[in-house]
Amino acid sequence: MGTSTVRSGGFSASLEFLGDRAVIGLRGVLDDLALPGLAALLDSVIVSGYEFVVVDLADLDHMAAEGLAVIVAADQRMTGLERRLAVRSPSAAVRSLLDAHGLVGLARTLPSGMADAHLGPAQVADSWRGVTHSESHDLLHDLRGVIAASSNDDVIDGSLRLVVALARATVGGADGVSVSLRRHGRLATVAASDQTISDMDASQYATSEGPCVDASIEGRWFHVESLDTELRWPSFIPQAKALGINAILSSPLTAAGEPVGSINIYSRTVSAFEPEDQRLASVFAHEASAILTGSGMDLTDEERSARVQDALLTRGVIAQAQGVLMERDGVTEDAAYTALRVHSQRTGQPLHRRAQDISASTRRTPTRPDDPDLVRRGDRGG
Amino acid sequence: MIAVVERPLDTLDLFRQDAQLTRDELWLRYFELGGMSTAFEVEAFLHGALEPSAHDHDVLAHALNERFVEMGGNHPVPYTDGAPVRHRH
Repeated sequence: MGTSTVRSGGFSASLEFLGDRAVIGLRGVLDDLALPGLAALLDSVIVSGYEFVVVDLADLDHMAAEGLAVIVAADQRMTGLERRLAVRSPSAAVRSLLDAHGLVGLARTLPSGMADAHLGPAQVADSWRGVTHSESHDLLHDLRGVIAASSNDDVIDGSLRLVVALARATVGGADGVSVSLRRHGRLATVAASDQTISDMDASQYATSEGPCVDASIEGRWFHVESLDTELRWPSFIPQAKALGINAILSSPLTAAGEPVGSINIYSRTVSAFEPEDQRLASVFAHEASAILTGSGMDLTDEERSARVQDALLTRGVIAQAQGVLMERDGVTEDAAYTALRVHSQRTGQPLHRRAQDISASTRRTPTRPDDPDLVRRGDRGG
Repeated sequence: MIAVVERPLDTLDLFRQDAQLTRDELWLRYFELGGMSTAFEVEAFLHGALEPSAHDHDVLAHALNERFVEMGGNHPVPYTDGAPVRHRH
């Protein structure tokens, strides 16, 4: 289970996951500006495969008719996938909107290809057949806007599944797409258009070679036009050929500029990826990287753990320095902190350096507690 | 749930974006400087959904300002004893 919050102007949405259920809570005023964000959020939840999506309207103050259309379209997609969407606590105003317009009529106001596409339960990516490049780009851009705040893996993975589905639908020659990401120190496939593609990634991780592994580590792209003539990755290439793959395009994903994974596009056709397809692949890599950067993916679990340890040490040094100043100057804890902060503000020296100096000085000169250099009157400001 | 009703309350978050820090990274820096609030509360401070204490505000402002200094800037985020940022739109 996890929660995340998205927002746009006077509108906000919370997202909560409970097992196979996703609950989207809407709050405030759902106006035209907030619509693309809501649509993208619903899309990412649907692509993520939740069996049951609940849209909670209890805290929604106002919704334009188009807002309802977005929800109705999501309902239709869920129904096509033999899953369910429910609306909880519609206000009297929303209820009258439903009555006034009717569900079917509202659904027609949706962008092409999203409401009417036939959906099979097996292939979520099929639901995006017919989506144009610019629609796909706009959708990802909107999605990036609303999930920029999220560091929740469920939300990130849902977004990446949407990236995979859109890339599969729009990149020419793409028979399968996956996203590999470094998590807990190792590469894993977080989104794949089908099991064969997922297996292909897995065999690259197992042999520690392949374009997906190298793109993820080296942070540059790898294009295999034909597996028949490819000399790199001798352990992996035969396995890919056995699965019917003949061309691969792996583009690096970065977070805050650091390589963290790759988006991999596979084709059964030799030389399938035209220059335009290569350009599109880089657009998808760029959008996915922006999502990852916003999520704080630049810190691995190990790095974060190390940072917290360092931060605890630094906190200790600052608290110690505060104690020294409190005793010397007879000031409160907050005033001691302010003294440290004002010094940092005036000199540009980081606060923790000043704290280190003060703590160290008490160890060097225990007999001279009121060293004038360290308790200058100006330091008590604030 | 953090509800955000008006953009001007986002002042601190706009500074965070200018500082090119993720929320997680800013919270780590705030925590390092002795901040006592959780990452969730700090996120609420950033959007004005929760009012930080003067001390909390100043620790958060200082975490941002140290970042601006790293980037070759000054101390653009006001402290509570300086220009009151939350009342200046």
